[in-house]
Amino acid sequence: MAQQRSTFPSGGRDAVTRRIMDNSPARRRRSGAARHLLLSVAFLACSSQLLVVNANSWWSLALTPIQRPEMYIIGAQPSCSQLSGLSQGQRKLCQLYQDHISYIGEGARMGIKECQYQFRQRRWNCSTVDNSSVFGRVIQIGSREAAFTYSISAAGVVNAISRACREGELSTCGCSRSARPRDLPRDWLWGGCGDNVHYGYRFAREFVDAREREKNYPRGSTEHARTLMNIQNNEAGRQAAYNLANVACKCHGVSGSCSLKTCWLQLADFRRVGEFLKEKYDSAAAMRIGRKGKLELVDKRFNAPTSEDLVYIDTSPDYCLRNDTTGSLGTQGRMCNKTSEGMDGCELMCCGRGYDQFKTYKHERCHCKFHWCCYVKCKRCTSLVDQFVCK
Amino acid sequence: MWTCVSLYFNADCSRSRVGCSGIKPSPSQSCDSCFFPPPPWKLRGRSRAEKGGAARFPTGRRCDVPPARSWLLLARCNIFFFPPAPDLPFAMAGAIIENMSTKKLVIGGVILLLFQAFAFMVGGLIAPSPTTAVHYLASKCVDTGKQGQETKWFMPWGPNQCDKIRNFDEAMAKKIEANDIVFAAHIPLPKKEMSPWFQFMLVILQFDIAFKMYNQIEEGAMVTLDVRLAYRDDTISEWTELAHSFEQRKLSCNLTISKTMDNEGRCYECDLLPFMEVGSVAHKYYLLNIRLPVNVRKKVNVGIGEIKDIRLVSIHQNGGFTKVWFAMKTFLTPSILIIMIWYWRRITLMNRPPVLLEKIILALGISMTFINIPVEWFSIGFNWTWMLLFGDIRQGIFYSMLLSFWIIFCGEHLMDQTERNRLSVYWKQVGPIVFGSFCLFIFDMCERGVQLTNPFYSIWATDVGTELAMAFIIVAGICACLYFLFLCFMVFQVFRNISGKRMSLPAMSKARRLHYEGLIFRFKFLMLVTLFCAAMTVIFFIISQLQVNEGHWHLGDHMVQVNSAFFTGIYGMWNLYVFAIMFLYAPSHKRYGDEQSSAQCITGDAGGNNGEDIQLTTTITHVDGPSEIYRLAGKDAQE
Repeated sequence: MAQQRSTFPSGGRDAVTRRIMDNSPARRRRSGAARHLLLSVAFLACSSQLLVVNANSWWSLALTPIQRPEMYIIGAQPSCSQLSGLSQGQRKLCQLYQDHISYIGEGARMGIKECQYQFRQRRWNCSTVDNSSVFGRVIQIGSREAAFTYSISAAGVVNAISRACREGELSTCGCSRSARPRDLPRDWLWGGCGDNVHYGYRFAREFVDAREREKNYPRGSTEHARTLMNIQNNEAGRQAAYNLANVACKCHGVSGSCSLKTCWLQLADFRRVGEFLKEKYDSAAAMRIGRKGKLELVDKRFNAPTSEDLVYIDTSPDYCLRNDTTGSLGTQGRMCNKTSEGMDGCELMCCGRGYDQFKTYKHERCHCKFHWCCYVKCKRCTSLVDQFVCK
Repeated sequence: MWTCVSLYFNADCSRSRVGCSGIKPSPSQSCDSCFFPPPPWKLRGRSRAEKGGAARFPTGRRCDVPPARSWLLLARCNIFFFPPAPDLPFAMAGAIIENMSTKKLVIGGVILLLFQAFAFMVGGLIAPSPTTAVHYLASKCVDTGKQGQETKWFMPWGPNQCDKIRNFDEAMAKKIEANDIVFAAHIPLPKKEMSPWFQFMLVILQFDIAFKMYNQIEEGAMVTLDVRLAYRDDTISEWTELAHSFEQRKLSCNLTISKTMDNEGRCYECDLLPFMEVGSVAHKYYLLNIRLPVNVRKKVNVGIGEIKDIRLVSIHQNGGFTKVWFAMKTFLTPSILIIMIWYWRRITLMNRPPVLLEKIILALGISMTFINIPVEWFSIGFNWTWMLLFGDIRQGIFYSMLLSFWIIFCGEHLMDQTERNRLSVYWKQVGPIVFGSFCLFIFDMCERGVQLTNPFYSIWATDVGTELAMAFIIVAGICACLYFLFLCFMVFQVFRNISGKRMSLPAMSKARRLHYEGLIFRFKFLMLVTLFCAAMTVIFFIISQLQVNEGHWHLGDHMVQVNSAFFTGIYGMWNLYVFAIMFLYAPSHKRYGDEQSSAQCITGDAGGNNGEDIQLTTTITHVDGPSEIYRLAGKDAQE
């Protein structure tokens, strides 16, 4: 168990170190992944039995090929039937749109990364476990955190698919009215190919919701409520990615006038999507399953949530202490900020258990000279900083 | 003072016949009812019945004025007594709009409306949206070869693709220099082809520049781009260079977030930069290679932040829209041409030189035909890059012609007894139009004209160019404002004069009043149609500006392309407007007949009057003002 304990805070420490020295993201990520890999072996050995098999999710596409041997063996294009975590419908979509799968994975990865950034200062820090359930048991509770996770990963898929579309990597992209690539040149000639953010949205809706739609729970059951919640949150995430895309226009009429104008959507910085969804997380609506088999507000005095709002059906578990039943990892070993009054402050983060203090050296580059690319001449500055870790 | 007695009048203008002469109207009788038959469209049936026979005035009184005769003919014959023409808008005697029956006018209007609806529907339901924007993310290729090798082209994908790097951290690790990095973009995307149906292509550049605490974008930073454009027509042959240029673009980027360490790595929001414009898409594949050479000594590309990506957006016209557009033009050209020839034939058949209004209508028709002629068909077969510029010029000519037409149209109906009918009278109004159009033309030549030789040229790229372009546009804008003030003032004057004339209407006899009112109504109607056309243009323009991305509405299963509907609808509308103007202002057949009968009149004795009738529109410089006569007439009638 001691090994496991060191596993989980790793995510948290990762986040903190990221803040301190944000200069070499690639190297850091790689070392983080390696650490994950090593520790995950230990984790899997100990607690795989605790996890329900059912918890597999398409989020597992986010895992790198190193973590997914089956992807590694087959090569760049994994065979859909061998991908774990996909539901029946998703597997079908995977077969139809083979080239999309790696981008869905990228989208999930983006969502997870953003989730971890947004929650770096919270008790629940969106830490992942390295099996195909990705977030562990904690997501099985229909809490606010689960709501955020679903929405941000759906948003990530919209973003990634749209981006891939823009880069011309997807054969069906844009010309969405014709699913068959065979018709593509004719459509392209006639009306160009449609907007790629729209395509990203539509594809994400098909893919992400496929899992929820194919379940057939009795109306009014808790599982049904959870399905409805997931669908709502997925939609909220997709809409966030879609609506935050900003419109850029170019006038090109006579003498540069606006008599002819072309507009297109530009994807928003994914950080903005994350911030937006974080706000939605803070204002998420508590729901319960109603008699008609629909979600309804627990407290009727509030406004009913729109399709852009997050909803949840269960209260969050206690994230202070480790609890294998709920999947909570606890905050032991997490970094905290001694002076902060907020959630990242040591008082709140450590749930009153106190903290350890130690000193480390922080290395920074300073007095740099740059070119727009590939040329940096810096000095290295080192300073001694205090760090605090929850007991 | 005159009375009916003093008139030697009859239908043939010969003064010998009885007519009303010698009849002094009793106080209860209005004299002019005798001379002014009801308007022709009210008497159609009767006139036909009485054709050939001795026409009697419908009121039954002993006035042998043939009712079928145009009131205006009477006016011509009796110009010294009842000069109705100079103070009425429809003194253009015998134009179709004046003589046509209301029923036919309404039917014609409905047909035109149907065509209008059809024009909208063609755009909305058949044509796709006018233009498409396609995104490209430039691949970062590494130039491993020697510097001297000029002809090497870097392909972002495909069989001969370049050595790519994913990001610049990788370049840093591999010790690749900035000068060795080539941004490559292939237009179009894989598996697609460009086509001459796309008509034009313009490319916009956008930088993704990451915010770095210690490597920020300097104030007024300029980016120097070494750009090359190549083409080929199949996937295997070599690339042929189309253009090569060193371009400078000003970076205007801002950071919406605070400049803290926490936000490092997030992107600036940079304005779109104009990059390239080609006036014809004659080739299937295009390739762009962009370098950003760094030279610290010359301060080239220094202080431009940390560029992460170059994104390009190419805009081209949709093939489907081009086809619909060409079809429309091909259909409209003969329609306008035929009506124009018909119109001018009728004008020339009259034995008088055409007046200014008629000439300007012809000019409007010519400019409409000029813009209609589908010379763009040639762009499918030939690589004519100047077609875009030519289209601009044609459009400019048409709109300045239309604006001039409105001014002259209103001016010719001003009825203020000043001598008009000459273009020089309108210099104050037409001047700004010509000057404004000329400014826009110069601007267009500076932008699109230069682009014929260097497609990367943009007038907006330099400060001087931007100021110059702004100056042109501002001057053109001021001219437009002046124009609209003039036009509003003129329309106001016209309406004021008309209502002034209207004041005297109640005093007139019923027939005469009806006639006047009919004419006034028709003039106003045409004025309103004009206003409606202009308003529709403005409204649709605003709609197309407002609805940004959702350029299509769902109508059941059909997708309605609002932008296309706007283009085809407005284009159809102006064509129909010009068509209607030419039709309505053509001399009518009835007048034609009158002309023949009035030939007698001319040969008889009133030959001197013949020259006068053209002048009826505006130019009676008579000693007795017409209003005086009306006043007297009214007075006389009351006696």
